[in-house]
Amino acid sequence: MLTSVFIAAVSLALFWMAAFTLWWQMHAWRTPEVLASTRFSSPDGDEHVSFSLLLPARHEQAVLDHTIQRLLESSHTDFEIIVIVGHDDPETTAVAESAAARDPRVRVVVDTHERKNKPKAMNTALPHCRGDVVGVFDAEDQVHPELLAHVDHAFLTTGADVVQGGVQLINFHSSWYSLRNCLEYFFWFRSRLHLHAQKGFIPLGGNTVFVRTDVLREAGGWDPDCLAEDCDLGVRLSSVGKKVVVAYDSDMVTREETPGSLMSLLKQRTRWNQGFLQVYRKKDWKQLPTLGQRLLARYTLMTPFMQAFTGLIIPLNVAIALFLDVPVGIAFITFLPAVTALVTFVFEIVGLHDFGRQYGLRVRFAHYLKLVLGGPFYQVLLAGAAVRAVWREQRGRNDWELTSHVGAHLDESAVSRQDATREDVPA
Amino acid sequence: MTSTLPAATTAKVPAQRRPAPRTGAHRRVEPPRRLRSSRSDLILCGVLLVAILVVQGWNIGDYPALSDDEGTYLAQAWSVQQGDGLAHYTYWYDHPPLGWIQIALLTWIPALISPESMTVGTMRAAMLVISGISAVLVYVLGRRLALPRWAAALGMVFFGLSPLSVVLQREIFLDNLAVMWTLLAFTLAASPSRHLWHHFGAGIAAATAVLTKETMLVVLPALFLTMWRHSHQDTRKFAITGAVTACTLIGFSYPLFALLKGELLPGAGHVSLWDGVKYQMTRPGSGFILDQGSGSWGVLQSWLYYDRILPLGGLAGALLLLVTWRWSVTARALAGPALAVAVFAALALRPNGYLPAMYVIQALPFLALVLAGGTASVAHAVLSRWRSEAEKRYVSTGRYALAGVLALAAGAYVVPHWYDGARTAVTTDANAPYHAASRWLATEVEDPERTRVLVDDALWLDLVHQGYRPGLGVIWFYKADLDPAVTKTMPRGWKDLDYVVASPTVRRDAADLPNVKAAMEHSDPVATFGTGEDRIEIRQIQTSAGGAR
Repeated sequence: MLTSVFIAAVSLALFWMAAFTLWWQMHAWRTPEVLASTRFSSPDGDEHVSFSLLLPARHEQAVLDHTIQRLLESSHTDFEIIVIVGHDDPETTAVAESAAARDPRVRVVVDTHERKNKPKAMNTALPHCRGDVVGVFDAEDQVHPELLAHVDHAFLTTGADVVQGGVQLINFHSSWYSLRNCLEYFFWFRSRLHLHAQKGFIPLGGNTVFVRTDVLREAGGWDPDCLAEDCDLGVRLSSVGKKVVVAYDSDMVTREETPGSLMSLLKQRTRWNQGFLQVYRKKDWKQLPTLGQRLLARYTLMTPFMQAFTGLIIPLNVAIALFLDVPVGIAFITFLPAVTALVTFVFEIVGLHDFGRQYGLRVRFAHYLKLVLGGPFYQVLLAGAAVRAVWREQRGRNDWELTSHVGAHLDESAVSRQDATREDVPA
Repeated sequence: MTSTLPAATTAKVPAQRRPAPRTGAHRRVEPPRRLRSSRSDLILCGVLLVAILVVQGWNIGDYPALSDDEGTYLAQAWSVQQGDGLAHYTYWYDHPPLGWIQIALLTWIPALISPESMTVGTMRAAMLVISGISAVLVYVLGRRLALPRWAAALGMVFFGLSPLSVVLQREIFLDNLAVMWTLLAFTLAASPSRHLWHHFGAGIAAATAVLTKETMLVVLPALFLTMWRHSHQDTRKFAITGAVTACTLIGFSYPLFALLKGELLPGAGHVSLWDGVKYQMTRPGSGFILDQGSGSWGVLQSWLYYDRILPLGGLAGALLLLVTWRWSVTARALAGPALAVAVFAALALRPNGYLPAMYVIQALPFLALVLAGGTASVAHAVLSRWRSEAEKRYVSTGRYALAGVLALAAGAYVVPHWYDGARTAVTTDANAPYHAASRWLATEVEDPERTRVLVDDALWLDLVHQGYRPGLGVIWFYKADLDPAVTKTMPRGWKDLDYVVASPTVRRDAADLPNVKAAMEHSDPVATFGTGEDRIEIRQIQTSAGGAR
């Protein structure tokens, strides 16, 4: 009897968790009107704000120049590019300086911190920003030339303090995990983030994010000690009532690639999870005005850990229903979380189809198969990252794993952009 | 695709509902957005609902005659309420159990207050709830399928007040519950907001309908068509996949249930889902429906006896909508119900299919909607087609005159027939013999506790309340031959019984049931209620000496 009650309680809790996650994940497709509202509105041709675009670069001499050139092709006319390089990184500095010499819109700021990370670099550049709006990109981002004009228009028409554009991993065909990784991004930027914007609590992404300069300065810039400084900034700004707008257009997203190896994906995910945990513990979200928002915040920041938990419990639950002698009614309840997981699976398949359509990519049957078969293994990976994050946070290890790692890798061999082990992909 | 504004955080900016991009795929007639706040819709629907409830509810226990199936389902619902499982005899997967589980829920509170009220005649009142909900759903669905107010109301009237509906919807049939769920599924599928989770809900409702009465499976294509037409191109793949997934997953709970009980596949010593399905699929056919003298012909005549307008008019309406598909907006809007009618008609026309008497129940809402839609189409053709600003006055007058004449003629034909039907329904007492038999068995038998009686299912609960032992004391007559658990307790066959209550059903089926037949042959009537074919005899089993036992 006690077993039955326990199993039923756990199953129902899992069911509600999975159901809510699914509900939010599908936000953008609720109605055609909601879907239409997730896109950028088309600019009217006028320009109303000026941009300072931050481009932190570290040991990224191979790709930096290309990124700067592409940014300079933007149709918007009023912007500056501030490349942030480290004092101990002469190769990247050389590339940045030569770009600055060619075009007056490019400037270079040198970060002299002993231990370097992305938030410190950006805080270093913040006093130098002259534009009305600060935008953040990564050194390897492919930015659409029309993006700035659209963001400008979004600031004007919505009166926003922050505009978050879409970021999309594209190389779904590279490996089984990159397929799932791409799809995660798709659901996050295409759908879930819009819900967060609407509800007034949003963990921002690490790039293609635009903040009014005064708002950013008032907030004190980025938290240099947080492993997910992007998420933290979003939480702090939305918690004090700043207005965040999210827009996603498949032809306007910033395109990126998945981490190059399973290990680096695990490390990246560990860092995010640990960052989310830090943000949770900073308690800025407690200033949110409504209980619903605070619950959403609590739930969102805890998601990685719940995810790990569900991945382990669902198979156990089904096994109990099938092999232990529990009443039929209870056995039925134990299947509820599995049913929700199945529905999520099906929506992921449809999502992959839509992803292929939106980006004009050919998705083959094998990819759908990989998506389904890879599901459980990806769940294990996520669970591993979650456990690792808790363990590291417990041990007080909150250094940026990526800095040393990427540097070492690039120093040894001047690898091309595709092979580089990148972990600084934003959440 | 960059024509809209992004979503924003603060509540100050009202929900940024951009209009969805228009798609040319289907010219969609804009359905009313807010029925709940439309006063005229509420009043019209409310008045009709009251009329339907009065006509269906008045005299509900006494007309029509109690049917064996009603007894079966209500008895099984009683068993669920008692916590005795899905049936007091072995549940053998004849139908999915969800239908009578719902009946058990529906009658739960009345049965708690007054346990004796758990009899077919009394509990028919619960069906009023179902009829009422279904009738309202017909109206809402009609409106969502872009019917004008008067036509949606007409559909509701057809559905709720046709004498055929009145007779069938009063009875405790699983089909009536399944119709309600199907209507809910269609209504959600035609949701004007085209919300993902409405479509998902439509899938769940459809699965519930199928698990209530498995034959609802055949309307799923029509539901799919409705959902396809009412979803938006940009979100369609998510909406439809969601609905199909929901429907499939819920539907699979039935085999899962069998699996958990270890009764999915046939095996020695237990029933199985497989055998249940096999039984239903191999039921002997009742002949071709248009073949005079076949069983199916008889069933058709029994429907037409009550009402010709709804079944035949509905078929004509479906045909009209199919023919005018190209020109008529109404025809395209009603594609789903028209397809449902076509499917039901096609299945009824199988050369040698099994056609049960309640088959038509599932088609009633669609017949009603299609007939209303056909009427709206004709009205539109008469009043508005080829009409121009500069139309001559006498032509306009002619149009109205023609419409008036048509309406009057239809009214003159329909109203007297339906008035008669309604009068019969609210005044006839068809169940006096049953009640008398029940009273006799309550008062004239000395020791009900130890008396064994074969009865038809309709009377079974009455006797249970009078102290007979459920299951082996008061016995569903056919279980004496078909259920090993019962025959085991009758080693001497008919000699182990005391009475047979020979109702029309028992007399009809006894031919194929040796034990029942023997009991009939070795018994004498001790009391007879009613006359002719419909009489009910209480027959006492003879002892071997020739006298009563």
